[in-house]
Amino acid sequence: MNYAWDFSGVWSHRDMLLAGFVGTMKIAAVAIALGVVFGVVLAALRLSGRRWLALPALWFIEFYRNTPPLVHFFWAFYALPVLIGVSLDPYLAAVIALSTQSGAFFAEVFRGGVVSVERGQWEGARAIGMQPHQALRRVVLPQAMPRMVPPFIERAFELIKTTALASTLAYSDLLYQAMQVNSITFRPLEVYTVVAAIFFCTLLVLSVGARALEHRLGVSTRPQGA
Amino acid sequence: MDFTWDFSAVLQNWPALLKGVGVTAGLWAVAFPAAMLLGVLIALGARSKHRLIGAAARGYMELFRNIPILIQLVWFFYAFPIVTGVQLSPYVAALLALTLNASAYCSEIFRGGIASLAQGQWEGACALGMQRAQVLRRVVLPQVLKRMLPAFTNRGIELAKNTSVASVIAVHELMYQGRALSAVSYRPLEMLTAVAVIYFVLIYPGAYAAGRLEKRLALRSA
Repeated sequence: MNYAWDFSGVWSHRDMLLAGFVGTMKIAAVAIALGVVFGVVLAALRLSGRRWLALPALWFIEFYRNTPPLVHFFWAFYALPVLIGVSLDPYLAAVIALSTQSGAFFAEVFRGGVVSVERGQWEGARAIGMQPHQALRRVVLPQAMPRMVPPFIERAFELIKTTALASTLAYSDLLYQAMQVNSITFRPLEVYTVVAAIFFCTLLVLSVGARALEHRLGVSTRPQGA
Repeated sequence: MDFTWDFSAVLQNWPALLKGVGVTAGLWAVAFPAAMLLGVLIALGARSKHRLIGAAARGYMELFRNIPILIQLVWFFYAFPIVTGVQLSPYVAALLALTLNASAYCSEIFRGGIASLAQGQWEGACALGMQRAQVLRRVVLPQVLKRMLPAFTNRGIELAKNTSVASVIAVHELMYQGRALSAVSYRPLEMLTAVAVIYFVLIYPGAYAAGRLEKRLALRSA
């Protein structure tokens, strides 16, 4: 192996990669925020106790959890516009795909947290005269929220990795920008290695932050030393 | 909304979609067992007392779990040939990326499973004169495999979903066929909806089984 690595092409196009990195972070942040909203709504529907609300929410969640993310991207970009009669740009389509699929996963995280609180806590709160929403806000959620944090963080990391699929819709995320740089420099090895390294380092930094957060909240489920 | 659904394009192109399902199933059927096998080796490596082997195995796990699968795939297809001088076909590149990616997750499951077994089991078996490989095969794995079953089922589901990424480098699996056909037929809504439904039908039984299994194991240990 006598290949001479040459990162000068990548370095001279660093502004393009930086723009891609910003694009990736932006879409991840927007999709997490919207995904939480979707997730809360879906979890609320599933916990509503009314079959005609809970069942459609369950189908939606199961469907999104058991189909590939890439299908959601293509569906949002090519199929959804036909249905609604409005064409979507890559950014919007990617945000829709990411936030609906992560909403489905978040919903199960939220629901799981609420269900994990003992039934007696509900009954006790109701017995001392609290309305259901009061019981939820004052008794159940304060106990359920810390339990939701580790699985929520796990899903958020999955979402950040999934944003790379937005490049297939020609959204200018890190991977898409890397492909552009590659087509200028003809240095795929350097370009894609750098992109992989950027992703790796970003997620590593974020996971250190996430662990510190879990530790602070006292909700770490990781075995010690892992 | 005045759109009329018309699934005739889907029905006419059924054989092409079925061929895509075959390639998807093929990718899964090769990558999953290979990833499990590789996963055991890496898990053992991560437990190794040899510091270099341990660090390398843990580095491998972190590396493949913290980079998006699509970037790994693109790397193996476009960058790997430059390092090695071997041009991989799209199918082989996809298999390689899917297998290595899944193996990192599998090794984490094995590591957790093996660690969940009391150390005394190892010591007892060693005291009987068994080699480490024997202890693993005859004592440890038979006890922990059942415990790891739900996690492996979930990994199989994730892998099945990940196979769709291979369409990006033109492997003719289900997602690729669906995209190509939706372009040809001008019926993206019906075609892509059909593809989504096919994936769901393929994947959901696994998810259902994993859920049942998890409940059963939870009841037994309770």
